[in-house]
Amino acid sequence: MSILDILITIIVVTILVTIVLGVITYVAYKLRLARRPESPRDEEDGAWYFERHVPPGQGTEAG
Amino acid sequence: MKQRSSSLGPLLLVLLVTAGTVAIILWSLNSPDQVRVFLMRLVLISLVIFLGILLIRYFTLLWFGFMQHTERDIEGLDQGEMPPISVIVPAYNEGAVIAAALESLLALDYPTYEIIVVDDGSSDDTLDVATGFEGHEAVPVRVFSTANAGKATALNLGIANARHAFLFCMDSDSTVEPETLRRAIPHMRDESVAAVAGNVKVINRTSLLTRLQALEYIEGLNMPRRAQGFVAAVNIVPGPVGLFRREALAEVGGYETDTFAEDADLTLKLIAAGWKIVYEDQAIAWTQAPDRWLDLIQQRYRWTRGILQAIRKRRGVLVRPVPDFPLWLSAMEMGFEAVVWPMMNVFAHLFFAIVALLFGMGELVLYWWVLLTLLDLGAALVTVSMEEEQLSLVPLAVIYRFFFILFLDVTKTFAAIEELFRFGMGWEKLGRTPIRAAGEGAQ
Repeated sequence: MSILDILITIIVVTILVTIVLGVITYVAYKLRLARRPESPRDEEDGAWYFERHVPPGQGTEAG
Repeated sequence: MKQRSSSLGPLLLVLLVTAGTVAIILWSLNSPDQVRVFLMRLVLISLVIFLGILLIRYFTLLWFGFMQHTERDIEGLDQGEMPPISVIVPAYNEGAVIAAALESLLALDYPTYEIIVVDDGSSDDTLDVATGFEGHEAVPVRVFSTANAGKATALNLGIANARHAFLFCMDSDSTVEPETLRRAIPHMRDESVAAVAGNVKVINRTSLLTRLQALEYIEGLNMPRRAQGFVAAVNIVPGPVGLFRREALAEVGGYETDTFAEDADLTLKLIAAGWKIVYEDQAIAWTQAPDRWLDLIQQRYRWTRGILQAIRKRRGVLVRPVPDFPLWLSAMEMGFEAVVWPMMNVFAHLFFAIVALLFGMGELVLYWWVLLTLLDLGAALVTVSMEEEQLSLVPLAVIYRFFFILFLDVTKTFAAIEELFRFGMGWEKLGRTPIRAAGEGAQ
């Protein structure tokens, strides 16, 4: 087996292994997402509101 | 957007396409010589076309980027000419990193600015850490708290409460260089400029994964942005570092909440309204790159789908270059870089690898691959030099080509297919560790 053949083998195998690893990682990511507990935001349908933060000791609006 | 875990439909689709390609190739092996010769010619033509597109892409980006680098002649402003700026920092569960972000903002070398932090309903100590910065003597710091409604809404709240005509938006997991505002603001002398996109760099270069991302930011993200900057048509003002003209944001209605790439969406809106978007490589933000593979995949998945969502909102423009030519060009370029190119990369590698195995055309594929690697090494050398970055990143271009880009492009391909079929999608917070630069704490 010549050097050229070895290089070709390394490159082809690396390409295929990388793609397979990419697919496996994508599936792992989707599984992690599926097993994630739902956040409160996903469950609520109510209107969002804003609450101005007032630093301690200040009676009026910040700033 | 509601969270709904997607099925493995995209995976099956890709497997089906791959199996079909392999079946055709296997069938051709047992076919008459004429069919085999035809297919081998097809492979050669495919290789040439792929290389052609690749060469055009690289040299266009490098040339435009080089022109932007050498012809940058923005004159600085005198201290008295510098207008006041409102800095807006949206934050969600960034307790581990937001102090570093705010400290870097307080160290900005700029005469007049205020800092507005919008805590997007964090469940950690983000709000407590941020309020600790209120009452600073030299720089007014105001902190707002909202129920969790997403980054775009938090940014809009910050914009609504800002006092100045120029707004600097940044991410709370990033830090900025002291010169950032001073370098970005002179571009606003041109009243047709709506935004200045800055230069995002990776700060936590502590592992091979984050060092590869450091190179990717320089070569893969900043190189196109620099090239776009030459024609004042940057198509994404990045979240960690963007200076905006308030008047322009008001005209287009600020950030929208219906995509996962609010920065890309806003930039396209500004371009559609006729504004220019420029690039300033000396306006630097250091961001924390994901240091776990799944977090990286999650980030790229979200970016790809978000960009596609932003393009989808303007899909009518894609088939109608006139009269919105700048928008058409930006959307096409964005779609090419985010979706078409990664998909081409995956399928070309797969196709050529199978052909090399079955047709004995390995030598051709080897030369093709070596050329790709040399191109990446050359591009890395040029872009790293232009940014006066660490030369030790350049040799990583081999791993970048050999593994990293192809690995990420697989996820981008799946994300594009999912978006095409409108599979459900939701936010998932990336894990955070306190910001740490390369070398710090390495012992």
